[in-house]
Amino acid sequence: MSLQVEESIANEVRSFLGENLLEVKVPRPRRLYLKVKREDYKRAAKHMVEKMGLNHISTITAADAGQEIDVMAYLFGRGVEVMLKAAVPKMNPKIPSLTDIVPGVTFFEREAHDLFGVVFDGHPDLARFILPEDWPDGVYPLRKEYKVTRLKGPREVS
Amino acid sequence: MSAATIKVPVGPQHPALKEPENFTFHVEGENIVKVDVRVGYAHKGIEKLMESKTYLQNIPLVERICGICNTAHTVCYTQNVEYLYEKPIPRRAEYLRVLIEELNRIHSHLLWLGVVGHEVGFETLFMYVWRDREVVLDLIEALTGNRISMAFATVGGTRRDLTSTIEHKIRKGLDLLEERTKYYKRTVAVDPTILARSRDVGILTPEEAVQLCAVGPFRRASSIKEDVRADDPYAAHDEIPFNIIAYDTCDFYARIMVRVDETLESINMVRYCLDHIPSGPVRVRLPNTPPVAEAVSKVEAPRGENIHYVRSNGTDKPARYKVRAPTSANLAPLVQTMTSRGKYDVYVADIPVLLAGIDPCMCCMDRSVKFIDDSKGKKWVWTMEQLKRCMSKNVVRR
Repeated sequence: MSLQVEESIANEVRSFLGENLLEVKVPRPRRLYLKVKREDYKRAAKHMVEKMGLNHISTITAADAGQEIDVMAYLFGRGVEVMLKAAVPKMNPKIPSLTDIVPGVTFFEREAHDLFGVVFDGHPDLARFILPEDWPDGVYPLRKEYKVTRLKGPREVS
Repeated sequence: MSAATIKVPVGPQHPALKEPENFTFHVEGENIVKVDVRVGYAHKGIEKLMESKTYLQNIPLVERICGICNTAHTVCYTQNVEYLYEKPIPRRAEYLRVLIEELNRIHSHLLWLGVVGHEVGFETLFMYVWRDREVVLDLIEALTGNRISMAFATVGGTRRDLTSTIEHKIRKGLDLLEERTKYYKRTVAVDPTILARSRDVGILTPEEAVQLCAVGPFRRASSIKEDVRADDPYAAHDEIPFNIIAYDTCDFYARIMVRVDETLESINMVRYCLDHIPSGPVRVRLPNTPPVAEAVSKVEAPRGENIHYVRSNGTDKPARYKVRAPTSANLAPLVQTMTSRGKYDVYVADIPVLLAGIDPCMCCMDRSVKFIDDSKGKKWVWTMEQLKRCMSKNVVRR
């Protein structure tokens, strides 16, 4: 099975970022997983959307990886789904917002902010999106330290 | 925004249809100038719950994300887990997955067409379509044992096999469905009620559809020929031919026609599956614990691109599971279609059809609407009857 498109996309990103491209994986046809540093996340996404024809962002989400939170953007174009991943420290989970490149990601970033506490710098309005109005501030339910058992029993109303 | 701006809250109660959502429409006269949206009233915490269940236990759970397009979620989930193992599944199972997925799409699109009839005030269409939808539900029940939540796809293949009796039944049912769907297509194309409520309503230009990441029939109704089944073929879609349906009027009418035509395409795809399905086993057994890996899986749900992400950690439970259902991607473009901008005016009377145009989940007809006049601090409530009367007047006026 030839993986020409996947590899040419990876090479284009590599020639743009150079050594700052930390990891490249092609696990199966039409899938490409890239890992970059937090500082390169936005310019890599901008380059891929505007110069490389990967102009559809399927979603932006996050995953708890212990001391860090992985922020992942899924870009689609040229028949390949590209996962662009960047790790941010849990103590200071800040990453630039992609809303000025692709306005359609507004709600995805608000959701990730609600559930993981990732702060997207430059987002026009990171208001609460999915969690209830009376949810306590600073509690992020999809982080590993949050246990489902906390939900059992009546919740205190402030 | 001037002092004459009035906020019209719509939602979050949805007594008849699923998925409550809250919209705040800022209106000037009849024009909607701004829309605020708030979701999460049906947030069930499924992603968190999945981290505490095994891969096999998660199949019925993932199916309950959506009641209408549940097959899209089970197929996406099971193939995502199979990606972790990097093991192929039997070809017959892949054909069966396409078969059940397309039957599910027929049911979903017919359900939606009925809701459209209901929203535009064409109740007869609603009754007729929902009667015919029973036919496809019976076919799904014959194949899987259940009408709605069938959990047909499982990790490693499918749960049941197709027999010649069921095949014969499906072929007979499809003939009836095809005849009826063609009849509905003719009706929708000429009926004055539907045309008055749908032509040039809720324009989403192709540029906006790309910028705002619209997916599925909503995107294709803005003349963009993109479909996951063709762009990222999964299961047996690399072999099964079909036409990508796109319309270029970019309005609510295009959204109706895309879905009606897709129903006809799905009927043909099911026939192709029945004609060409290979023999062999329908399931391989996979170990309970997948290797440490991550995977991304996509399917074309009836409402559009459905994307799942899984990360395993060497146990029998996933470390992280992310589900992005198509409606959540279509929310941003929906807000755009509901906002007056440039040469496109959007009126209060268009709200129900615009909401219905994306997805039946969001339909807002079944409640009273509260109006608040910002400048006077006056509040009053309209019943659904009054709202409908206002809408019918607006249709005549326009």
